[in-house]
Amino acid sequence: MSTLKLALLGGALSMSAMGATAETFRWASTTDPQTMDPHAVNSAPVLSFLNNVYEGLVRRGKGMSIEPSLATSWEPLTGENGWRFNLRQDVTFQDGSAFTAEDVLFSYQRASDEAADVRSWFAPVSDVRVVDEFTIDFVNSAPNPLFPDSIANFMILDKGWAMANDAALPARDAENFATMNVNGTGPFTLESRDPGVRTTLSPNADWWDVVNHNITEAVFTPIGNSATGLAALLSGEIDFIQPIPLQDVAQVEGRDGFKVLEGEETRVIMFGFGHEHDALLYSSDVTDANPFTDPRVRLAAAHAIDIASINRVLFRGKIEPASQLVPEGISGFSKANSDRPAFDPERAKALLAEAGYPDGFSFGLKCPNDRYINDEALCRAAASMFAAVGLDAELSTGPVRDYWPQLRADDFDMYLLGWSPGTFDMEHPIRFLMHSQDNERKLGSWNFGNYSNARVDELLPLIQQEIDPAARQGMVDEVVKITQDEVAYIPLYTQPLIWAAKDNVDLTQRADNFFMLRWVTVN
Amino acid sequence: MVYFILKRMLQSVFVMMAVAFLAFSLFRFVGDPITQMTGVETSVEDQERLREELGLNDPFIYQFLRFTGDMLKGDFGFSYRTRQPVADMIASRIPATFELGVVALMISLLVGVPAGVYTALKPRGVLTQTILMTTLVGVSIPTFVIGIMLIFIFGVQLGWLPTFGRGGTFKIGAWESSLFTIDGWRALLLPAITLGVYQLTLTMRLVRAEMMEVMRSDYIRFAMARGVPMRSLHYKHALANTMVPVITIIGLQFGGVIAFSIVTESVFQWPGMGLLFLESIRFVDIPVMGVYLVVIAFFFVLVNLIVDLLYVAIDPRLRIRDV
Repeated sequence: MSTLKLALLGGALSMSAMGATAETFRWASTTDPQTMDPHAVNSAPVLSFLNNVYEGLVRRGKGMSIEPSLATSWEPLTGENGWRFNLRQDVTFQDGSAFTAEDVLFSYQRASDEAADVRSWFAPVSDVRVVDEFTIDFVNSAPNPLFPDSIANFMILDKGWAMANDAALPARDAENFATMNVNGTGPFTLESRDPGVRTTLSPNADWWDVVNHNITEAVFTPIGNSATGLAALLSGEIDFIQPIPLQDVAQVEGRDGFKVLEGEETRVIMFGFGHEHDALLYSSDVTDANPFTDPRVRLAAAHAIDIASINRVLFRGKIEPASQLVPEGISGFSKANSDRPAFDPERAKALLAEAGYPDGFSFGLKCPNDRYINDEALCRAAASMFAAVGLDAELSTGPVRDYWPQLRADDFDMYLLGWSPGTFDMEHPIRFLMHSQDNERKLGSWNFGNYSNARVDELLPLIQQEIDPAARQGMVDEVVKITQDEVAYIPLYTQPLIWAAKDNVDLTQRADNFFMLRWVTVN
Repeated sequence: MVYFILKRMLQSVFVMMAVAFLAFSLFRFVGDPITQMTGVETSVEDQERLREELGLNDPFIYQFLRFTGDMLKGDFGFSYRTRQPVADMIASRIPATFELGVVALMISLLVGVPAGVYTALKPRGVLTQTILMTTLVGVSIPTFVIGIMLIFIFGVQLGWLPTFGRGGTFKIGAWESSLFTIDGWRALLLPAITLGVYQLTLTMRLVRAEMMEVMRSDYIRFAMARGVPMRSLHYKHALANTMVPVITIIGLQFGGVIAFSIVTESVFQWPGMGLLFLESIRFVDIPVMGVYLVVIAFFFVLVNLIVDLLYVAIDPRLRIRDV
């Protein structure tokens, strides 16, 4: 199909339909936000979209750093664990009602309810107290220096509006008023919503902050098929699309009037192992043991991967090789441990021989085929690299809707996983991927192979509570060192972000793949 | 006649039950709705609670009976993905799919029938050979390739027609129609052609084959010998007799056009039922998938019924036999 597209595009040089007016901004993405309720679904399409409409106490700037939003400042509480937020005054919701601490308290109660999907953000919170109209305290059960960073997507809605419209809780089964309507404080407000078809936003004339965009109307259309999305951009019907497939980059770049925006997403792609499995599930030769419990075997697998070739052949040089589970630039990144295992097939073979598998063995490798950029191709490439050192990977791929249940059911020998640290801190992957599985304390919930190290488990709460940055980094470094030495995972690379737009559109590409209309100017 | 229709309606209930049963037994293999409904940070405990609340831990047969029981009561449930009522979601998507299907059918008939007649009457003409070759190509290329080709030629390269969506629509009550605005027609054209190409080829070849068959029959030769004008002979006598099998096939195909407009809808981001179904698969939205399949089954039954009734209208022999 892509050769056909190329051939068709090759001759297509004229741009005839660039008639869209400058102020109406049309954009597309692959997934429609499931709901307009900021607390109902904790998914990137929802949070990204609603960040244009609702606001939190804090927000992330262009470089992902935390900055004041509905709170003008915040400081640790004295005498107890927690944070005091001083709220912005003279802010109104889009329906005109005033923003006060009561709305924050209400939103906290709503977002931490069992019906809310975002309630995990509030696990460290033991109490919330309204001090006065514009001051509110979030009490934490333990010291929590990262708490303000962790609630950047906690969006505040109006108590009076929610109560009056029977939307006091997020809709879990049936829809409610907040599923299709909004009342935020943010720069844009919802004009119309036709789920899966078209959603229209218009600027909020009473927004408190300085307006840097020049949009008078913004129209969002989900376009699931990437070829259709590309055609919509090239025909001028939309101004911007996120993301576009890697293989279409050359086509967009080759045409006048369009540009490709590239950045690094914070998502690290990695291989994981069935650490606690007693035996391989998909092996034709080793059925009574699990060689991957031996760190030497895991290291051998790491040495078998030729990341430079993967980058060149599959990703057109657009990926950044990874040494650990967060990319450089994320807080907590361990500079002391920034080397990844070199591509060294000889060493891999030697390690396998040392571990008692001189001829290698076969095993099952599970991969999704619709979750990460080129995920299936990556796994095919990796399987042939593994094979070169004697690790015979039996690859099976499937759509992500089927993939997570398989991983949860321990149905793998080795698997592919991508992880984006939701809090933009190393603590996030330690909590979800490195700590032993502990459902009760809600830890290690994505540590499918149940990698377990007592010291890592011991360090996590200390890292979470440490106020002193140097001491904290020391502990993080220790965790990264341990997990690298034991090859808990094989971190591969950071996934690129590839967006495309008309040349006359200026916008900001944020590393969390969120798209903020307030930074868009159409020239 | 009334008895006949009632009997068919009763049959349709069993067909729909069977489809629902098959669908439900397959849904378990589509994936896990919970992981699609919740974020990555949602705890395993919360996921389990949601699973319990939605009744996903219940035995398959129990879930099936609950689904059919609710449907019989007119309760179509709520989407897992958007939490909207499923009945509203499907209803709002029906006009788009229906209009697309009807216009595709119209294109295939308006072009296919005359082309079929022409190619039958002038089997050795240059134009006939050209038409046959072109349509053979048309039927051999997969729908999505035809769609993408049309998009890139008429949407991107020439810029004449929109590449996605429905364009301007006009509301008549709850029915959102593309048929009353220029924009709507512009948006409708490419997807309708894409969807209609296969139908068109089929219609044309069927009309051609039937027509050639009929032209060889005794009564036509007899009419010819009697000196019946050729025009009347072709269009009144021959074509009318050609249409019975054509209507059967076209009618049955129309059910398929509606049901399998999924590919066309996906290529053109056409907001119909097919696109909704695709999105629902991606999110393992079981209520929507279930209702969609039952609705499609009902539609097939309905189309079959209409075909049967049309037979009676067209073929006088059946009218006599039925009495």
